[in-house]
Amino acid sequence: MANQTPAVVMDNGTGFSKLGFAGNDSPSFVFPTAIATKGGAGAGGSGSGRPAVANKPSFLTGGAGPTGHLSAKRGTEDLDFFIGDEAISAASGPGYGLHYPIRHGQIENWDHMERFWSNSIFKYLRVEPEDHYFLLTEPPLNPPENRENTAEIFFESFNCAGLYIAVQAVLALAASWTSSKVTDRSLTGTVIDSGDGVTHVIPVAEGYVIGSSIKSIPIAGRDITYFVQSLLRDRGEPDSSLKTAQEIKEEYCYVCPDIVNEFSKYDRDRSRFLKHVVTQPGGRQVSIDVGYERFLAPEIFFNPEIYSSDFLTPLPVVVDSVIQSSPIDVRRGLYKNIVLSGGSTLYKDFGRRLQRDIKHLVDARIRQSEVRSGGAKSGGLEVQVITHKRQRHGPWFGGSLLGQTPEFRSYCHTKAEYQEYGPGIVRRFALLGGPGGS
Amino acid sequence: MSQSLRPYLQAVRSSLTAALCLSNFASQTAERHNVPEVEARTSPEVLLTPLTIARNENERVLIEPSINSIRISIKIKQADEIEHILVHKFTRFLTQRAESFFILRRKPIKGYDISFLITNFHTEEMLKHKLVDFIIQFMEEVDKEISEMKLFLNARARFVAESFLTPFD
Amino acid sequence: MLLLDYQNVLIQSVLTERFSGAPPVSIDQTVSDFDGVIFHISTPETKTKIQVSIQIRCFQDLLRYGAKEVLNREYGPYVVPPEPGFDFSILVDLENLPAEQEARDELVKKISLLKRNAMAAPFEQAYQEHYHLKQEAAKFTTEEAPQGVREGGEVKAIHYREEEAIYVKASHDRVTVIFSTIFREETDRVFGKVFIQEFVDARRRAIQNAPQVLFRNDPPLELQGVPGVKNTGTGEIGYVTFVLFPRHLTPQRMPDVISHIQTFRDYFHYHIKASKAYIHSRMRRRTADFLQVLRRARPDNEEKERKTASGRTFKVGA
Repeated sequence: MANQTPAVVMDNGTGFSKLGFAGNDSPSFVFPTAIATKGGAGAGGSGSGRPAVANKPSFLTGGAGPTGHLSAKRGTEDLDFFIGDEAISAASGPGYGLHYPIRHGQIENWDHMERFWSNSIFKYLRVEPEDHYFLLTEPPLNPPENRENTAEIFFESFNCAGLYIAVQAVLALAASWTSSKVTDRSLTGTVIDSGDGVTHVIPVAEGYVIGSSIKSIPIAGRDITYFVQSLLRDRGEPDSSLKTAQEIKEEYCYVCPDIVNEFSKYDRDRSRFLKHVVTQPGGRQVSIDVGYERFLAPEIFFNPEIYSSDFLTPLPVVVDSVIQSSPIDVRRGLYKNIVLSGGSTLYKDFGRRLQRDIKHLVDARIRQSEVRSGGAKSGGLEVQVITHKRQRHGPWFGGSLLGQTPEFRSYCHTKAEYQEYGPGIVRRFALLGGPGGS
Repeated sequence: MSQSLRPYLQAVRSSLTAALCLSNFASQTAERHNVPEVEARTSPEVLLTPLTIARNENERVLIEPSINSIRISIKIKQADEIEHILVHKFTRFLTQRAESFFILRRKPIKGYDISFLITNFHTEEMLKHKLVDFIIQFMEEVDKEISEMKLFLNARARFVAESFLTPFD
Repeated sequence: MLLLDYQNVLIQSVLTERFSGAPPVSIDQTVSDFDGVIFHISTPETKTKIQVSIQIRCFQDLLRYGAKEVLNREYGPYVVPPEPGFDFSILVDLENLPAEQEARDELVKKISLLKRNAMAAPFEQAYQEHYHLKQEAAKFTTEEAPQGVREGGEVKAIHYREEEAIYVKASHDRVTVIFSTIFREETDRVFGKVFIQEFVDARRRAIQNAPQVLFRNDPPLELQGVPGVKNTGTGEIGYVTFVLFPRHLTPQRMPDVISHIQTFRDYFHYHIKASKAYIHSRMRRRTADFLQVLRRARPDNEEKERKTASGRTFKVGA
């Protein structure tokens, strides 16, 4: 075909799924990885004969709209479901139960996931999978069986033309190539992936994840929101709902170089205190003071003791220890290319602070060893944290970047290869964008 | 259960129980090896006569006993193209997960749809009569599953066709 | 989800958001739709001017059957010269939107139906031909009608996919729409056959007023002599014929019928895939059942073993 169809890039995360086409700079759809099925927890409860919630005003409706008559027919329950935002709203009505098929990054419920994909492809992306190549993502340390199951679904149910499964952290590295600070497009680096539930620090060497050194931190976006909320509650603000806390977090928070200084700056300059206006349900507007939480909230990454009592290691220390536990010959590369990914790394100056703190740790260690060696001089170690514009959907964007390269298709496994060798074929993929690649 | 199925399954059960008389037997051709003789086929004297139990031309079971292992191959009923595809899909789905099935052979014997390989190590670890139960239950349910899937497919096709054509009405 | 949407959800959601008065941003998205259609939504000059371009593989076919007129009718004031590499473009100026919300929604809807409208041209033409022929035919009795009226209009071929095409033919009492279908996969072919059979039977059984559906493995008579239609004799290409009767051909019903029949192929394939997914989940459940049975074969002395393994190193014979 003269005109190749763009590859479909799908990044299904624990919280949100990012779907779109390769070559675009942002995903076409971002919605919760949630599926609402009839009759609660898979118990096939066809008892409730109530009509389903109409999810669309019916104009020329193709019928994805009211599915009332669907529930009346037996044996079609598997077609009666919603995904994404529609799932959330359907589940708030009667008759539907909400499920999250992905837990901790890994697919737990294949039945739900298969239907989730089916709907993603046919309803949202509107593509015939036979015509497109697919790039999917997986978390680091995903068992190969999961890959095989994924391939089974994509090749057997959907007959997709070709499939590539990439590790999220590697794609996040590829996404950082857009930053002007990155010069050599290597796939070596440390990825700090902070989403809603958990923060991972993942070292990657030449496109391969160093599994034994991965560390995760139980502090991420949700914790920051809770922290903001508790600060609002302590002050007795008129509205301290989770939603308000999240808005404040997303709009006003930033990372400061030093908390003590920052406190005194606020005390000198009252203009740093802001007002946030919330429209409550019912139309009433309330104004909320936004104060120290602007810089205190993201600070829990650097001083976890202000929020948590059981996890006390600051993020820079974790990053440093991850790199120190990696093989010695890649450490220099890992320090030089620390890449941020995920929504909770978007705070202003987050990268700068992280770079400074890690640099301090590294320099202190170098000085110590210089003293111990008795006069030897170290050449120093470059520490660089890459902040770039595509951080929020880093893995997706990396996938989009790699998926549009002309050689992408040659890295994929095709349907014919799958039929020849069986699902085991997806245990290995040639490294996309690696040496010998683009 | 239909009239002819019961004696068929009974025959399979008795033959299997009899055949599952396995003992640890080291290979005679390679030192310090212990291989399922029924697969290796290197010592004809430890292989026993294979046995076919057929219900009709489409459904049969092949039992190949040997001193330390036994191979059971099942040909599942396939009346038409749809059943053929469904059987093929289902058996492939199962063999794909052979790892967790212990006794499932990754490839069926030629002419059959699915094969099991039971060695003396399996019978030492697991209860023999329960293994037989498993095979019998498998045979029973696989037929049921295939015909249910076929029914589903027809029902779904009808439903889908009617739903597409209704807006024209 | 049972039926497929006619509109492109992404275009719809992007435009709805843009039209709602959100601050203008630059957009550059390439989006795909069924049958290899590619859309490009961009803001080439300023952030307030959104251009939507479509690339459709059978555009030359469509032009021949009056796509230009249909598209001009639908998008008149918004049409701009096509972007290089695309077949048709429209440009919407956010500063020049209709004032009322309904009119804006209407516009969003219209644009998201771009593919549908482009594909609609041959169908609309067939409708018009049918009206014309019907008038003509009314003047004669069946036997003495001139050749042209009895035979109906020429066959319009739309090669909308690499290997598949839609053929539309009008005559005085019906419009025939023929889809050629091909399956690359054995499972799909078998499933497809079951589905098609039900399409053929549905009219007889339940929905008397539906279009008649016919299926055969060699080109139907209507397609004889149409270039590009070969009787391979192998039967791997199937022909699904929809016969639209006058009751489907009223001008009032035209838009809906055209939209709906266009989705046939994708609907058909979607449901084949959805049933495979369902069968998969059945197999998963059944496999879990089998494993359970097999697990029962293991004697439950594992509990005992664990206790003994806790400290000392002696074995209990299996």
